[in-house]
Amino acid sequence: MDKKKNTFNTPEGYFDNFHERLMDKIDKEETTQRESIIPKSDGFSVPDGYFKTLNQSIVERTKQKTVKIIKLKSYRKFYYGAAAIAAIFVLVFGVTWNEPESQLSFDDLASAEIDTYFDTAEFGLSSYEIAEIIEVEELNINDILETELNKENILDYLDENVDDIEDLNLEYNDYE
Amino acid sequence: MIAEEALVKELKQKDSQAKAFEVLVNTYKERLYWHIRRIVLNHDDADDVLQNTFIKVYRNIDGFKGDSKLYSWMYRIATNESLTFLKQKSKKMGVSNEELKTALVENLQSDVYFEGDEIQLKLQKALATLPDKQKLVFTMKYFQEMKYDEISEVLETSVGALKASYHLAVKKIETYLKAD
Repeated sequence: MDKKKNTFNTPEGYFDNFHERLMDKIDKEETTQRESIIPKSDGFSVPDGYFKTLNQSIVERTKQKTVKIIKLKSYRKFYYGAAAIAAIFVLVFGVTWNEPESQLSFDDLASAEIDTYFDTAEFGLSSYEIAEIIEVEELNINDILETELNKENILDYLDENVDDIEDLNLEYNDYE
Repeated sequence: MIAEEALVKELKQKDSQAKAFEVLVNTYKERLYWHIRRIVLNHDDADDVLQNTFIKVYRNIDGFKGDSKLYSWMYRIATNESLTFLKQKSKKMGVSNEELKTALVENLQSDVYFEGDEIQLKLQKALATLPDKQKLVFTMKYFQEMKYDEISEVLETSVGALKASYHLAVKKIETYLKAD
């Protein structure tokens, strides 16, 4: 006896007109959607003649000079600044050099200066603007984090903070 | 529909750039305006963001590699510019993104360029409760009547996920509109 034999039955001709019935259902749903209570217009308007004068405003703005973008990776000028400050220190301490066990070194000063600059300077760059400057291919998420992320932490975070898995916009196969 | 490839070529050549840019602006200004307006809600803000979008397109056209269609690349820039604009605005005002959205909808009542009635105002309130992506999918499909394939290229999301997102948005909005 064949144990795999299907014991379920379907009404006669069920599969013959399945496609037609499915399309009917989709049509009905679309009709219902057309009759939805959601208004067809959202009520926004524009000033008279706005689109006619728009071209001119845009063309004029393309003629303006481009705003200079500060490159995040360019540390050279910080080194110049640090070197100048170091030179002042050398001068000052060179004249009044009484304590041979001074803790300061050029390297400490340079990195401290750079750190302070990044901590206090207001770059005003949004993440979108930063993304425009830095090539994503060159970046690894762990490059910009102090503590390395591991899979477990990420899963814990998502578990606690994401209400709807759909918000993650994960790619998944079409089901329709 | 304009021949995109030819237009991109003309945009990249100095001698034909100005004329091609005019064609580009004329072709897409209204569509991009309404896309942006539905995100930022206010006309003056939409005007600013639209101009910034075209300036970005103009200055970055050399970097456009043609991996996607020109219109979806422009829509992506417009979307990013609009969302960034809102983030910066909320930062300047010292409020959260959600608080800003609520305030923007409240302001519509006194906006001379909003001619909506009570139900249309309620629709904006409902839209303000949706996650950004869901709201985008809904407005692009429902008001801009874009095809799922087109939305998929702009938002870089699969058609299946978009359909699910749209369906959810419709349900949420209908529930909100039916509620007293």
